[in-house]
Amino acid sequence: MKLAKQSVTHVLISALLIINLLPLIIALSSSLRSIKNMTNPLLLFNEFTLESYRAAFTKMHFMQALTNSLVLTVASVVIVVIFTAMAAYPIARLNSRISKFLYIFFLSGLVVPSQMVIIPIVQTIQGLHIPSSQYTPILMFITCSIPFSSFLYTGFIKSSIPIEVEESALIDGAGLLRRFWQIVFPLLIPVTVSVVITQGVWIWNDYFFNMIFISKAAQSPLPLAMLGFMGDQTNPTAWNVLFAACFLCALPLLVIFAFLQKFFIGGLTVGSVKG
Amino acid sequence: MNSAVMKKTMYWFVIPALAFYLVFWIVPILKLFQYSVTDYNGFVQSYKYIGFDNFKQLFKDGIAGSSLANTLIYTLVFVVFSNLVSLCLAFILNMKIRATGLYRTAAYIPTLFSAIVVGFIWSYVYMPESGLLATVLNWFHLNGSDLNLLGTYGTALYAITTVEIWKHIGTSTVIFLAGLQTVPQDMIEAGKMDGANSWQITKLIRLPMLATAITINFTLSIINGLKAFDYPFIMTNGGPGRATTTLLVDIFNIAFKEQQFGKASALAVISFAVIILITTYFVLKLNKREVSA
Repeated sequence: MKLAKQSVTHVLISALLIINLLPLIIALSSSLRSIKNMTNPLLLFNEFTLESYRAAFTKMHFMQALTNSLVLTVASVVIVVIFTAMAAYPIARLNSRISKFLYIFFLSGLVVPSQMVIIPIVQTIQGLHIPSSQYTPILMFITCSIPFSSFLYTGFIKSSIPIEVEESALIDGAGLLRRFWQIVFPLLIPVTVSVVITQGVWIWNDYFFNMIFISKAAQSPLPLAMLGFMGDQTNPTAWNVLFAACFLCALPLLVIFAFLQKFFIGGLTVGSVKG
Repeated sequence: MNSAVMKKTMYWFVIPALAFYLVFWIVPILKLFQYSVTDYNGFVQSYKYIGFDNFKQLFKDGIAGSSLANTLIYTLVFVVFSNLVSLCLAFILNMKIRATGLYRTAAYIPTLFSAIVVGFIWSYVYMPESGLLATVLNWFHLNGSDLNLLGTYGTALYAITTVEIWKHIGTSTVIFLAGLQTVPQDMIEAGKMDGANSWQITKLIRLPMLATAITINFTLSIINGLKAFDYPFIMTNGGPGRATTTLLVDIFNIAFKEQQFGKASALAVISFAVIILITTYFVLKLNKREVSA
């Protein structure tokens, strides 16, 4: 009886999730078909050819775009981690009006959408004579990551890094820099993982800032290279290649997710749910 | 030990982040207010101050009203359904059955895709005649060919909101699940001993213990809903007519297609006021409720 009830539950959950993932499953199956084989997309996986992938690979300059994506994401995330861990340290440790103000001041930036302020942002960057290059979006990736990352770091330092860990270093008269980088920062690894994942995923997937600042095809990261397929989504004859491009674009993150799954799911909840 | 040993010199550590934040975020937000009362077009640096003409025009043309209405409907539908669906999903995945890890992974996968990829794939789902929905309906001998959810004025907004919900469910489910896992098992056992049925246990023990997770998910979904841009931009470009034009799509189009930076900034100021009002109201309300719970 219990077994029967369990299998019914399993069937129901699987059905629910398969319906949920159906758009992705059909797209994957279609991307593995040849251009001629387009009818009946519901006959799943009745052909395996990498023809569409080859076409998409060249059309989006995959290797170039992948390298660009990696450079943008790694550079931004490294700087975000350094800047926001540093900023959170005094905010969490000092109990003054300034630190309370800074906490709210940083966090409130979260509600402002970047599309809303994009005009004055472009003006500011031009005004500072910062050349529009493939690296310009990094400035905005860092800026937009500050609210949430500093929020995570502050919460974590307050709740999990007691002041006592710095005791011996304080007695030794170690300077501020050494105390932070040698003692506090290494203890922040769990929340750093969370910052790297939450910010890394949005930066990797962002097309908006790239679209604003990058105009040369050779400098495009993956999501921006996808913009080149705009229009194909309403053209059924181009779907196989479009879907192949979609999966090529998502592949790097899916591979990383496959290996580091528990960090992705755990990272999302650090600091967001009180124990 | 207290902050006596923690010197004020620590504040130097805030400088790099604060500098970026001020220069590239706060100053641009303030500049919006300045541009909003000018006829700035983005090219000619000498612009005139024209008072509240931009605002008057936005309201007279009905632009502010319609994009505000679209954004609010989008937000409401998104907040209600993304939280309901993911709360149910979290309860299901929290059951003591095997393979929940696998199910959780399956639920989480859509969140990994770029909005642009999601937009493309869902355009295919909604395509009339040969799209996924049409094909499935035809398969069941229902007339799916005429179904054009994205092209019909009355359904387009709900169709794109569905996409946002689909993409977001994985994230909120994981947060709800983490909240559910903090519910102490002995509390549930005690409830059972007292003769509570499973609905009572859910209502009286699990939901109150989920207060933090609910606050976080509601706040995040309100913020995300008000930021609606990606799917109208990628899938419908605000159409048909102005059916899916949200505030941010309008700001973007007025600025970069019509080259009216002043007018776009005025709409940005309106959006800013709306976003601040709504989020502050709900954050304060939710936090108050959570403390008293």
